[in-house]
Amino acid sequence: MGGLVSSWPPRVTLIGFILVAVQTGVAPELRPFGVVIQVVLAFAAAAGAASGPSEGAMAGFVLGLMYDLGTGTPLGATAFTMTLAGYTAGWGRQYRIEPKWWILALLTMAGTTVGESAVPFVRVMIGETDVVSSRMLVVVPVVAVASGILSPMFVPLARWCLRIRPTELRLPADA
Amino acid sequence: MANFSPGRRRVIAVLALTSVLLLTLDLRGNQVFDGIRSAFSVLVSPFGKAVEVVSAPVVRLWRAYDDYDRIVEENRVLRAQVDAQRSAEIAAQNAIIENQDLLALEGLESLASYDSVTARLIGQSPGNFDQQVEIDRGAVHGIRVGMAALNEAGLVGKVTSVSPQSSVIMLLTDPSYAVPVKILATQELPTPVATSTTSTTIAPDAVSVPDASSETSSTTPSPTASSSTSTTVPEIVRETGVLRGQGEVRLPRVYFIASTTSFGRIEVGDTVFTSGGSTSLAPPNIPVGRVANVITRAGTAGQELEIEPTADLDRLQFVRVVLYLPQSELGG
Repeated sequence: MGGLVSSWPPRVTLIGFILVAVQTGVAPELRPFGVVIQVVLAFAAAAGAASGPSEGAMAGFVLGLMYDLGTGTPLGATAFTMTLAGYTAGWGRQYRIEPKWWILALLTMAGTTVGESAVPFVRVMIGETDVVSSRMLVVVPVVAVASGILSPMFVPLARWCLRIRPTELRLPADA
Repeated sequence: MANFSPGRRRVIAVLALTSVLLLTLDLRGNQVFDGIRSAFSVLVSPFGKAVEVVSAPVVRLWRAYDDYDRIVEENRVLRAQVDAQRSAEIAAQNAIIENQDLLALEGLESLASYDSVTARLIGQSPGNFDQQVEIDRGAVHGIRVGMAALNEAGLVGKVTSVSPQSSVIMLLTDPSYAVPVKILATQELPTPVATSTTSTTIAPDAVSVPDASSETSSTTPSPTASSSTSTTVPEIVRETGVLRGQGEVRLPRVYFIASTTSFGRIEVGDTVFTSGGSTSLAPPNIPVGRVANVITRAGTAGQELEIEPTADLDRLQFVRVVLYLPQSELGG
């Protein structure tokens, strides 16, 4: 395959469709501690952990846009938070050439924590009120732990999406 | 992908700015985005159905584990409630019919005069900061953005997004939700209208058995029974305000209550209905809930009410979308 087909967006988009369907159809039914697990966000962070900050941010942006389109949230709101999630997870990834699975899980959790924590603040920025509450103290840890549990499955999937090998060293262009 | 690694600062800056640009365009209202959303919902639909089929056993297993104790307890409570409300329902049905007859006689609109579409819930809020549900009826069924959604118990929310075959309903607990409401407090003020005192002589006890030693018969003083009669006159107190959602955990609140002399009469348990009006998206007289708490704030901040919704928003299965648009939307 060549051209657009050989690049990563089609794979990310395909997985994005499935994950958005899971997010809207299955995740609201399974609510550990009353919290909806964010599978799309977890995958965005896992993409960052598997590749690096730039790729993680771009994958997060695409997945976030799909989330916004699929759930009716303002277009760009979730794209921004998932960009942050992918970037954060990828930022930690660049210091390890071959991180262990648990390091990748921790990076995914860190990215998810940043991404989910940013959601209410973005909502406040666009004029919504009463979004920031003490409930975040429950929501964010549960979402983060769930993404850590999902990371052993999501990281290989993200590698497939982004067409990278586990041992491939990704140096950013400006490093 | 391996060749695609632009400077990360540039990437994050471009993506962040793009997000802000998209947000700005979307919040200002953009028909192109609405069209893309509709197309996306069509595209994601087969994925959703496939995921639903594959995940059904897992979801059922989770529900069986998670809900069993709660459902047993809820079933017990509901049975008791059903017993208690059976008689009240008959009286209420009668009152509703009388009310509708009177409104029809006077040519006034009631909730029954609007067409509606019944829809099944097909999805819940996918996020932790939104309170919304998705239903399986959309634009082709006459549903438009802004229409009120309710169930048998009362107001559920309003339609915020419409696709051809589905719609998204923002629940009334969502922080972005607001609707004009009125609070009706029926207070029974005792008004003595008639007082009577009756003296009664009770005969059997008053008769003495003729004594052998006496030729006379006597009658003992009769006991006197006194009764006072008073009639209560119901007084309906009306207050209006705006109900706003407070998120999943907290109860919705009614703001902007005028601090009038009658306000002090509103108490916990008073009923709340939509007030309607030319600019309200919800028609009048939809039950919203009951006053759960009256909050008095210092200074001139006015008072607020916490409202317990009558509709159980955690257990929605079906909703009815009232095909009502206010005069301001109709251009009338």
